[in-house]
Amino acid sequence: MTKTSPYSIEVNNVTKKFKVYFDKPNTLKERLVFWKNNKAETRTVLEDINVKIKKGETVALIGVNGSGKSTLLKLMTKIIYPTKGEIITRGKLTSLLELGAGFHDDFTGRENIYFNASIFGLTRSEIEKKIDDIIEFSELGDFIDNPVRTYSSGMYMRLAFSVAINVEAEILLIDEILAVGDQHFQEKCFQKLHELKESDKTIVIVSHALDSIKKLCTRAIWINNGHVEMDGKVDKVIDEYLKVCK
Amino acid sequence: MIKNLYNYRELLKSNVKKEIRGKYKGSFLGVLWSFLNPLLQVLVYAIVFPYIMRIKTENYLQYLIVGIIPWTFFTTVLTQGMITVRINAGIIKKVYFPREILPISVALSGLVNFFISCLIILLFCIIGGLGVSWHLVLLPVFAIIQFFLTLGIVLALSAINIYIKDVEYIVQFIINMLFYATPILYPTTLFPKKIRWVLYMNPLTELIEAYRDIFIYHQLPSVLSILYLIVITTVIFFIGLLIFRKLEKGFAEEV
Repeated sequence: MTKTSPYSIEVNNVTKKFKVYFDKPNTLKERLVFWKNNKAETRTVLEDINVKIKKGETVALIGVNGSGKSTLLKLMTKIIYPTKGEIITRGKLTSLLELGAGFHDDFTGRENIYFNASIFGLTRSEIEKKIDDIIEFSELGDFIDNPVRTYSSGMYMRLAFSVAINVEAEILLIDEILAVGDQHFQEKCFQKLHELKESDKTIVIVSHALDSIKKLCTRAIWINNGHVEMDGKVDKVIDEYLKVCK
Repeated sequence: MIKNLYNYRELLKSNVKKEIRGKYKGSFLGVLWSFLNPLLQVLVYAIVFPYIMRIKTENYLQYLIVGIIPWTFFTTVLTQGMITVRINAGIIKKVYFPREILPISVALSGLVNFFISCLIILLFCIIGGLGVSWHLVLLPVFAIIQFFLTLGIVLALSAINIYIKDVEYIVQFIINMLFYATPILYPTTLFPKKIRWVLYMNPLTELIEAYRDIFIYHQLPSVLSILYLIVITTVIFFIGLLIFRKLEKGFAEEV
């Protein structure tokens, strides 16, 4: 790993295939008895993807449903691994793939901040330094000491977003979550994302909210059918994308 | 790997806490159950076995306790560890973190429990008039060997269990068998010399004998058995780690 590399994320010749079982063999018996029947069908979700994202870039991944953009994001977080090729990420990475991943319903908001932030790899003292910012950003007030199962989905989302955004990772990966929350909080999130962008963080967003993306991102990558259809300035790519969609 | 784990030490810590507290959550006596359980087991064997097996081991009660408590350490970690990846499927699918943390926190919580349980052993040894000797300083050495031995097995099983769910049931059966293949209730001298070596192939036999040397007989465990333990633990641990490493990449897709 060289520190001189200008790239935060390098996706080199990545292919991802999923096995699609019609009837997944879970037990030994099923594996032995039906071993001829469960030939899985493989579906290629991404094929030979090459993407290099520079440090400090804000990139949007766009494309129709099922085009493979979320899969690409999951590959970048190392939740799943490529079938072929390699992915290199440099720096601390935070992902927001699904809100409140790893929240425990019986724990209070405050306890969940500790737990969630520790999943992102923060130490206790680091969390303690940030916890006030996180609580303030979430605007949960006194609710922070209530169990999260009593939260509304909006509150839940605000807490999750506040943790992820305040972790101060160098790379932030976000999947389709900007559409939640009320107008006020959405704007606040965007403002925070703008701040992060200014402070030279690398951000990758999967979203269908094209207008917001246009304002926030500098570059867009259009993924279609597992291939990179277009990669370039955000306005251009979105214009082309919209032409095809209509 | 170690550096990665160090970065995630807060997660490891809170996971260990969750393992220790979470198991008996909602029960009246809470964590106390992890100590009460083996004691109740000892009570049953101490009443039953001297009569039906006519075992005439000196200090049989202490003999049992020193067998049961390490055995409980082993089985609790094994049964909880092999399902730990499966029951944490929710976060595995959504967040990246070093997956080893899951089995390691189960094993660590078992180790903590074991050290606390050793106080109970000591209490019984003192009450029984056996006393305590300097050999106790060796206790952590064997506890850590057992930790790595169990962790190695758990790493392998927790990963394989994602692909073949039968592992849970097979292991449950093997644990039941192993209980009788380990000299917990009986002394190894019960077996003729010719076949006794079979018992000593089982690393748990060596471990429990070593614990007995420390707590009851106040003597050094044999060098040969220590060497055997170290070798077999190293082999099992690295095989386990290798299997886990091979399989962990598919966890998010398979669970």
